Amino acid sequence: MQKSKFLPRGRKDRTVVLVDIRETKSAKAADLFLQVRPGKDFEMLTILRAMIKGEHVTDDQVAETGLTTDVLQDLIERMKKAKFGVMFFGMGLSMTRGKHMNAAALLTLAAEMNAFTKFVAMPMRGHGNVTGADVIMRWQTGYPFGISFNRGYPRYNPGEFSTVDILVRGDTDCAFIIGADPGATMPRPAIEHLAKVPTIVLDPHVTHTSRLSRVHITTAPAGIAAPGTGYRMDEVPMPLRPALNSPYPSDEEVIRRIKEAIAEKPDWMTDQPQMIFSQV
Amino acid sequence: MLRIIGGTVYDPANGINGEVKDLYVADGRFVSKTEEGQTIDATGMVIFPGGVDVHTHVAGGSINFARAMTPEDHRRTQAFIRTKTRRSGLGGMAPTTFATGYLYAGMGWTTVNEAAVPVLSARHTHEELRDIPILDKSSLVLMANNEIILDLLEDGEDERAKHILAWHIWAAKSYGVKAVNPGGVASWKWGKDAKHLSSKIEGYDHITPGVIINKLAKMVDSLGIPHPLHLHCNNLGAPGNVETTLETMRHLEGSRAHFAHLQYHAYGGDDWGTMKSEAAQLAEYFNAHPNMTTDAGAVLFGDTVTITADGPWQHLLYKLTGRKWGNLDVENETGCGIVPYTYRPSNLVNAVQWAVGLELLLLINDPWRVFLSTDHPNGACFWRYPEIIQLLMCADFRNDCMAKLPPEIKNRITLPEINREYTLYEIATITSAGPAKALGLPHKGNLGIGKDADFVIYHHDKDIARMFGHPRYVFKGGEIVIDDGEIREAPQGREYLIKPSYDPNTDDFLKPLFEDRYCMSFENYPVEMERIEHAQIQNCDATDATN
Amino acid sequence: MKPITLKLKREPTVTLEAEVICPDGFAEMSHEQIAASVVYHGKRQVRLDEFFDIEGERSEHLVLHGSLQRVRHLGRGMSCGSMTIHGDVGMHLGALMKGGQIEVFGNVSDWIGAEMSAGEIHVHGSAGQQVGAAYRGSLAGMRGGLIVIDGSAGIEVGMRMRKGTIIIGGPAKDFAGLQMKGGTIILRDGAEIRTGAWMHRGTIISLKPLALMPTFAESGQYNPTFVSVFSRLLRRHGFELPNDPAKGVYQRYAGDRSVPGKGEILIWKGHPEG
Repeated sequence: MQKSKFLPRGRKDRTVVLVDIRETKSAKAADLFLQVRPGKDFEMLTILRAMIKGEHVTDDQVAETGLTTDVLQDLIERMKKAKFGVMFFGMGLSMTRGKHMNAAALLTLAAEMNAFTKFVAMPMRGHGNVTGADVIMRWQTGYPFGISFNRGYPRYNPGEFSTVDILVRGDTDCAFIIGADPGATMPRPAIEHLAKVPTIVLDPHVTHTSRLSRVHITTAPAGIAAPGTGYRMDEVPMPLRPALNSPYPSDEEVIRRIKEAIAEKPDWMTDQPQMIFSQV
Repeated sequence: MLRIIGGTVYDPANGINGEVKDLYVADGRFVSKTEEGQTIDATGMVIFPGGVDVHTHVAGGSINFARAMTPEDHRRTQAFIRTKTRRSGLGGMAPTTFATGYLYAGMGWTTVNEAAVPVLSARHTHEELRDIPILDKSSLVLMANNEIILDLLEDGEDERAKHILAWHIWAAKSYGVKAVNPGGVASWKWGKDAKHLSSKIEGYDHITPGVIINKLAKMVDSLGIPHPLHLHCNNLGAPGNVETTLETMRHLEGSRAHFAHLQYHAYGGDDWGTMKSEAAQLAEYFNAHPNMTTDAGAVLFGDTVTITADGPWQHLLYKLTGRKWGNLDVENETGCGIVPYTYRPSNLVNAVQWAVGLELLLLINDPWRVFLSTDHPNGACFWRYPEIIQLLMCADFRNDCMAKLPPEIKNRITLPEINREYTLYEIATITSAGPAKALGLPHKGNLGIGKDADFVIYHHDKDIARMFGHPRYVFKGGEIVIDDGEIREAPQGREYLIKPSYDPNTDDFLKPLFEDRYCMSFENYPVEMERIEHAQIQNCDATDATN
Repeated sequence: MKPITLKLKREPTVTLEAEVICPDGFAEMSHEQIAASVVYHGKRQVRLDEFFDIEGERSEHLVLHGSLQRVRHLGRGMSCGSMTIHGDVGMHLGALMKGGQIEVFGNVSDWIGAEMSAGEIHVHGSAGQQVGAAYRGSLAGMRGGLIVIDGSAGIEVGMRMRKGTIIIGGPAKDFAGLQMKGGTIILRDGAEIRTGAWMHRGTIISLKPLALMPTFAESGQYNPTFVSVFSRLLRRHGFELPNDPAKGVYQRYAGDRSVPGKGEILIWKGHPEG
């Protein structure tokens, strides 16, 4: 691990705490492993928020999370003593019962820890350029995901406009899938809807989704045979330089050509003002 | 080609103060005469050079984080509907990139300077700047808390540090140097601050904020960078901070410097209960020292979102408001805090801040050295500039506004004693000609022959806020972009960069230091030139800069 | 006043955004104006009468019939009059409502009464998620008024609500009263987990036992007077809250300590029979 001016001994100067519902391989690399009872992340984080403020939580209440008051006190002391703490979290937190509120609990704890020392939190994003999509959607629309353009301007409502919810409810009559394989991961009603409507897939490979699609356009894999930019999970953009050539077009080129073809069609927006002051 | 006839022209760069004068445009620039093209009759209307914003935050990691944090504001704000030729967007406290272009152009601003870019997120910032239509853009790179540079200054390697600084400016494809809370942001990485020029900086023994400021300003001058060191002083926002600001100004005698958002640095008093304006004291010193320019960082009452690399200040603000707080950490370079905030006239501290911004604009007597800004979005959103112009031009309106402030404001501000009203000529100076000159962009804010044909035609209107909020026409590069409130065209603007010279061995020197500290490979760090659309490299002239 | 009747004549294939169906606007509109009102079928703008048979005009009382699950934003921001709906309704019903009454004989989807400030919504069926909640990022959800759901409700009932009352007849899912800042939620049939999580202030009354967050503390048992007063007000909706000391008592919990908040959760404990 990197040695630096402030942490000259590298790994030895750092403390790693792993929290999980089971002892994984990562536990061996950690200084401390806390096994939390499944589905109790939100409770554990909320107890920590109370305890760092000196609020009393009974031993019985702590025990519900699978941990003990002593263990949490020790954790809090280590956290408060740290010079710079980072909390990493992933889908085990954000995609289990409680979902966004589990993530909110961790982010709030990180914010509140700054009353004592420096703390930040960072999501470990899924594969592919998830962060890049999120960053660009934000600057172009103001919102990270779950966006509808049907009124001619961006609107945001996770749960209403997020992909899985739209597909499960059958609220769309066409689907365009790029850089993802929802056919492998989404619930059955969502997959059934994708099979029902005209689905177009851009992917270098044959995937679960491409198999149920009407159109599959093979594209050059980004970063391997197509150039571009990938955003790291800390939102630092990195140039992608292709190592191989591909006979296939890049995603960007395919989308540009589709866009040009659509521009030839009559506009579906009828007369509207250029701007409105009251959104729906 | 274009002829604009009969308009009343305000062109401070050429000393033209309200003369009826015809303007001719060909190939995006003003020419002496042309008989061809469209003629626009501007009789009875007012013509200004296009606005230039010397200090704003419109692109990059921090404003983009602010966008994510404020969906509730996006929903209540103005929405731009997509058309076949134009992208959709949202206005509000942290407008989306496309909307940023439409909103700035919509009130007659055509050039903006993004004032805070960490090198690590420069690539991202340029990608966003490219998505801001219509405007010409430049950006400043954050350098006063960069670990490698601070380490060199600590060791007294000033000459080497200068080459490294120049290298970073080019690596970030930026236009100049921004210093934010020098040393303080570095200390914030350890949860600490550096409030005074002699404060200890966590992790260093020799350098202080004063040393960093002094050396950076000298390096910027000696590299011949067109825009002077752009400085966000230490101890922002705190009662009694005028002492720090004055001390900083004294430190910088003999160097050029631009003081950003001076409003936030002009407070007296010992605590929030006794806080008062020290704008008069600051203006007096400033008036006597022509080496400095400043922008107001004025505050308007209402909702906004505050964004600054000044992490410690933002944590304090989060604790004061109990609202949302975002905090970014940019490895070895800087950091950023984001807190939504509402300035209220009933809040005595906010009322003092409101007055201080106006006092500075009114008490600094040379309009070529003080510029209109709100430090968007910190003091207010940029699209509220017309309200500030009204406050500057109408003493009666100002007095009406002051009547709504709490009575305890008396003896804390000097605004009630100021009768000055800005003229149109002075407004054209502080919004365009002045900032263009300070940025070293001689072809901007200037209606002279050969200059860029970026200009605005306003209806004469007694309602000043309406006049400046709704121009009749806005031209960018000789093209009508706004016609009576409608966006006609959204052309792609330019980006201004500089390439100061540095020792060719700098790469070899820097690479091992970099790879020891950073988590990316050295080759991936500099922004590639191909990423900048319509890049325009301005000259650095080391002999010219210091006079 | 004779009501305006709207009968759905064909089901939308994608969502139909119909915020124009609102008493405030229709009160002043002729039949032709109503028929020509613009609704959004997906991204396409169509006339209201492409989807509805419309009878009547110039009335602030609306009656709707049909399977309206895909119809969204009905009664958005309404301030007066009434809407009576026979059938299931889509998202955002009565969101931002400022007055008037909505009654639904059917089920409703998510975000009903979101950020409403006054008025009443009564749903005879069940509700989806975020009843009376704050939209994402907003500091406050429901700011006043009354929502009654006879059936069950989804997650985040009354999220960040500041004032007003929400009554859920059937079981509620997780996070009822999440980050609540004021007002009252009555859970007649209890709730799943994390009820009252992160609440600052406000009151949650449950007539069934609840699995509470570990950050709530017991703070006494009593028969509060305000429950009796409240119960009398609710009688017109066809139910009462038990509060007879002879029959039982409310166990009070205070929290959420993680905030730290001053909210209260009252759970009715009936005395054992005999």
